[in-house]
Amino acid sequence: MNLRQRDRINPHLDLDTVDAAADLMALNMGPQHPSTHGVLRIKLFLDGEVIIKAVPYPGYLHRGVEKLCERLTCVQLTPIFDKHDYVAPMTNEQALNIALERMLGVEVPRRARYMRTILAELQRLASHLLWLGTFTLDIGGTIGGGASLMMYTFREREPILDVFEMLTGARFHYNTHQVGGNRHDIPDGWAAAVKTCMDQLAARMPEYEEQCVTNSVFLMRTKGIGVIETPLALELGLTGPNLRASGVDLDLRRDAPFHAYDEIKVNVAVSNGCDTHARFEVRIAEMYESIRIVRELIDNVPEGPICSLKPVRTVNQIKLPEGKQMYTAIETPRGELGTWLIGGGAEKGACPYRLKIRPPSLHAMAALPYALVGHTVSDVVAVLGSLDPIMGEVDR
Amino acid sequence: MAIDDGRSFEHPLYHYWENSPGGGIGLTTLDRLLMHSARHSLWFFPMATSCCAIEFMTAAASRVDLDQAGTIIRPTPRHCDVMVVAGTITVKMAPRVKKLWDQMPEPKWAIAMGSCAICGDFYRDIYSVVPGVDVIIPVDVYIPGCPPNADQVMVALQRLQEKIKLQLEGKFVERDLRPGTMIYPKIGTHGDARQSAEVAQAQLDGARGLGVGGKEHRVPRPAAVQAPPEADATSDSGEQS
Repeated sequence: MNLRQRDRINPHLDLDTVDAAADLMALNMGPQHPSTHGVLRIKLFLDGEVIIKAVPYPGYLHRGVEKLCERLTCVQLTPIFDKHDYVAPMTNEQALNIALERMLGVEVPRRARYMRTILAELQRLASHLLWLGTFTLDIGGTIGGGASLMMYTFREREPILDVFEMLTGARFHYNTHQVGGNRHDIPDGWAAAVKTCMDQLAARMPEYEEQCVTNSVFLMRTKGIGVIETPLALELGLTGPNLRASGVDLDLRRDAPFHAYDEIKVNVAVSNGCDTHARFEVRIAEMYESIRIVRELIDNVPEGPICSLKPVRTVNQIKLPEGKQMYTAIETPRGELGTWLIGGGAEKGACPYRLKIRPPSLHAMAALPYALVGHTVSDVVAVLGSLDPIMGEVDR
Repeated sequence: MAIDDGRSFEHPLYHYWENSPGGGIGLTTLDRLLMHSARHSLWFFPMATSCCAIEFMTAAASRVDLDQAGTIIRPTPRHCDVMVVAGTITVKMAPRVKKLWDQMPEPKWAIAMGSCAICGDFYRDIYSVVPGVDVIIPVDVYIPGCPPNADQVMVALQRLQEKIKLQLEGKFVERDLRPGTMIYPKIGTHGDARQSAEVAQAQLDGARGLGVGGKEHRVPRPAAVQAPPEADATSDSGEQS
């Protein structure tokens, strides 16, 4: 039974219709598996070693965040949003604060917009570096040599986190954005530190790319694996690098500019490969682009205030208009992170009535039943690593 | 015929050594050597669920380098001595954590990393989150922070080594206390007070693998298999013979 020849894979395959002579087996992968990027459980139905059906079971990290958001005021929400996508907290904060700003009609000062752009691109670099390390670790294995690239990428990630620590005082969960601007201004010597960090990374990135691309085992493990065709990707709602690797030229940074992206040029990387290797190529190209954007902006940050509203004094000083609703989306390292917000909740309107998060990782997970079928068990980690889902975002 | 003399688990040489003159000195030295090696070859089992897992990976990577303390991170519980609970434990995940903890061989230790694993942090009142992993497994060392810096993992490892040394020497070990939960702005709880108390109890019961009202989940046993009718019984016995 050649499953790849069909026009569309059936994710709801009825196992009773499978050939009775087949060597069927059900295999659980996760939730405690080092390569499932957190706590994901995939139930694999195998014919010999070939997957004929894959069913992902998320929910092992469900923290009830959307319900919690109804009980917290707008000012208290930012640190909660840090913890959804814990690989890119900075862009998550920005998604929430842009949603609140657009709803209230608050203008953000130009300096704060430039700072946000730089922070978003630095965060994209840090996130993709972590992805590169874990992706090669999944493919190569700890003992098999994959750990060496992981050690390098974590070394490169540390200076970026140091730069964030200089600015915000925290390595990880920053809480540096607020409605109307930023909370922390650029300290002395920050621009020089960012430039040093970018120079180092720009010098070393070709080396890391070459380690992967010239490795024949890496190419065999990635090319032609986990194909998601363009119509399927559009149908499932894939966004970000996963969609661009399926041949769709869509990037919210260029198509619906949010920070200072309307003042600069963003070159969007697109690949028509649709497979695991195409997703790898797109992410690597995005990293070079991010380095370019940061270098371009770091010297041109305009002077001025960093926040247009008063600093936060009390938790319920910002009130949302009752009955108004709005959907706002920005481009995070993983794709389109949308926030659907309805105003007029508890605490006399200081809490949102409803806050729905549209996570990009959840839609990437939806591609798994299509992308895994027809491959062997060892390809599961390669496909999963290339889709780069974060379970904190999937389960919320 | 083997006679159980109560020393079957010891090496025979050990007994001979103990009774020889001056052998005790050698034995205590050997004991100290074993203690030393146990402390400096702790293998970690990462029970990594969320944000703290990334920081734990950083601790294992280049800058902090946990390997310099003789640790190896192994993804299977059967090889490991120390379980590091890094991240939020939900009610759905809690039975798995307990099962993995039970699969680890003795002697074993546990580290709770980050405020979610310690007390549940913001998610403490949420229906699906376990308020602290020490509800289900005994925790030896707590690392406070959200998430803790990577070098704090090293500090916790040193504290654990110190505890193990004292334990193996048979000395009194002061118990690590759960760090005080942070004071945060009052968040309204679900519904009225009685209802929220019920939710809290259900959280704890769910974490311990119990059902509603603290009753154990038991699949009702099927009724005893009834004896087959006469005709079938004779035919079965005929086939067997």
